[in-house]
Amino acid sequence: MRFVQAYFGLPIAMVVICATVVPVFYRARVYTAYEYLENRFDAKTRSLASVIFLCQRGLSAGLTIYAPAIVLSVILGWPERATTMLMGMVVVTYTVIGGIKAVTWSDVQQMVVIVLGLLVALVTVIVMLPHAVSFGDAVYLAGAAGRLNAVTTNFNWNDRFNIWSGLIGSTFLFLSYFGCDQSQVQRYLTGRSLAESRIGLLCNAVAKIPMQFFILFIGAMVFVFYVFVEPPVLFQHTELQRIAQVSEYSGVETRYHEAFERRRDAALSLAEAHRAGDKAAHAHGLAEYRGAQQSLDAARTDAARLVEANGGEPGFSDTNYIFLSFVTRYLPAGLVGLVIAVIMAATMSASAGEINSLATVSVVDIYRRHFRRGASDHHYLLASRWATVFWGVYAVAFAGWGKKLGSLIVAVNVVGSLFYGSLLGCFVVAFAFKRVGGTAVFLGMLAGELAIFSVFLHGGISYLWFNVIGCVVVVGVSLALTWAAPGVFAKARVDERV
Amino acid sequence: TWRRVYWAVLVYLACVILAAYWFTRAYR
Repeated sequence: MRFVQAYFGLPIAMVVICATVVPVFYRARVYTAYEYLENRFDAKTRSLASVIFLCQRGLSAGLTIYAPAIVLSVILGWPERATTMLMGMVVVTYTVIGGIKAVTWSDVQQMVVIVLGLLVALVTVIVMLPHAVSFGDAVYLAGAAGRLNAVTTNFNWNDRFNIWSGLIGSTFLFLSYFGCDQSQVQRYLTGRSLAESRIGLLCNAVAKIPMQFFILFIGAMVFVFYVFVEPPVLFQHTELQRIAQVSEYSGVETRYHEAFERRRDAALSLAEAHRAGDKAAHAHGLAEYRGAQQSLDAARTDAARLVEANGGEPGFSDTNYIFLSFVTRYLPAGLVGLVIAVIMAATMSASAGEINSLATVSVVDIYRRHFRRGASDHHYLLASRWATVFWGVYAVAFAGWGKKLGSLIVAVNVVGSLFYGSLLGCFVVAFAFKRVGGTAVFLGMLAGELAIFSVFLHGGISYLWFNVIGCVVVVGVSLALTWAAPGVFAKARVDERV
Repeated sequence: TWRRVYWAVLVYLACVILAAYWFTRAYR
């Protein structure tokens, strides 16, 4: 539930973007964010921004391909390496032959089916709870297990989600995402009017936090469901099958089963004590419930270590499989198929669109400008197809690494944070410091990326802060260079229009 | 004309954070 704090910065970012960025882009009469950078600075700054965009989007495309690969792995029982390769080949093939539209539903239809699936999941959880456990009891039991900590006020650089990283770090993340990422900027630059663009952004700001809260709350309810219905030791079925043959596994399974039964009995007595207001029984039940939860977590950790020790990948985690396993096993049969079809359609069309845009930017912004000017249209079409294949391979290669960053939604944000900070710094300089020239901001962006990757590899600071660090370094280095050597780095002529 | 809209969004954010904080305290 703490992940909801990562969205606290969204409304702040949207207000700043509506008040400052959107009018500047409209006034500058540009159709892409990077076109604006070329007008404001120079071609090399635009090219560097394009390269940063390509690196970030290429990694994101890997995660987008990984999502349907997990679905296939759950349905078919195949190893996820095989399903990731299969999804990558399918996506690249139909992108190369130009069939993106074949798998595209409208966003509204997709959203309706997914929200319907989530609502049915919540109803299923509530209906399948034991008769002695009410919905109020279920919420209480989720809270007692620490699953409803929506807000944490302790400041810690290495803690991913607290109110400070949410209000400061995520404001910078969303400023970058909605202010500098072409996939988002194009949405409001092609709006019918400035007012319509602003309304769209502000509606997003208002709706996102309650929606995310609702999704995370369903996750907490699924946790309570599994307090009363014994879940598998690991939710990734293929890995569980593999370690089931190992001699140490039977001991882990026995401890897991005993811990589950202790937790279930403790939960029932805790809910009863909570309803009756019996303080002594409540304190005893709470200690027993939390102790059993720790034993259960320890057994699951031991099972994960067995996976790693028996040919599995280091850092094994089945986080991405928990909700999907619940959906495929307990939702009504017809709805499961519909929800999975929509997830596949949404993720496949998204990854096809991403790989297509990567190929386009590679050819238009990099290849045609710096490697091969003035060739025929047929030549650039062929180059675009080869670029599509390259980015497909790049995405599949990264998909396996991305899952180590955490759950899919967190991994997408981590990957974005590795690159967005320096892009944001570049745009802040462009908007706020008119005397700074292209070379200063170019060097600033390189310094910003160096700082972000140093922090990422060193550890100790969580990813939301990368956006702040990158932005501050770019602005600081650009201003310092301009101040130290204005003859070299300052703009000779300031154009107030950009 | 947009100033009031921006302030309304920021006040809404403050209310959401307070509600989430209350929710956390209530079910801890």
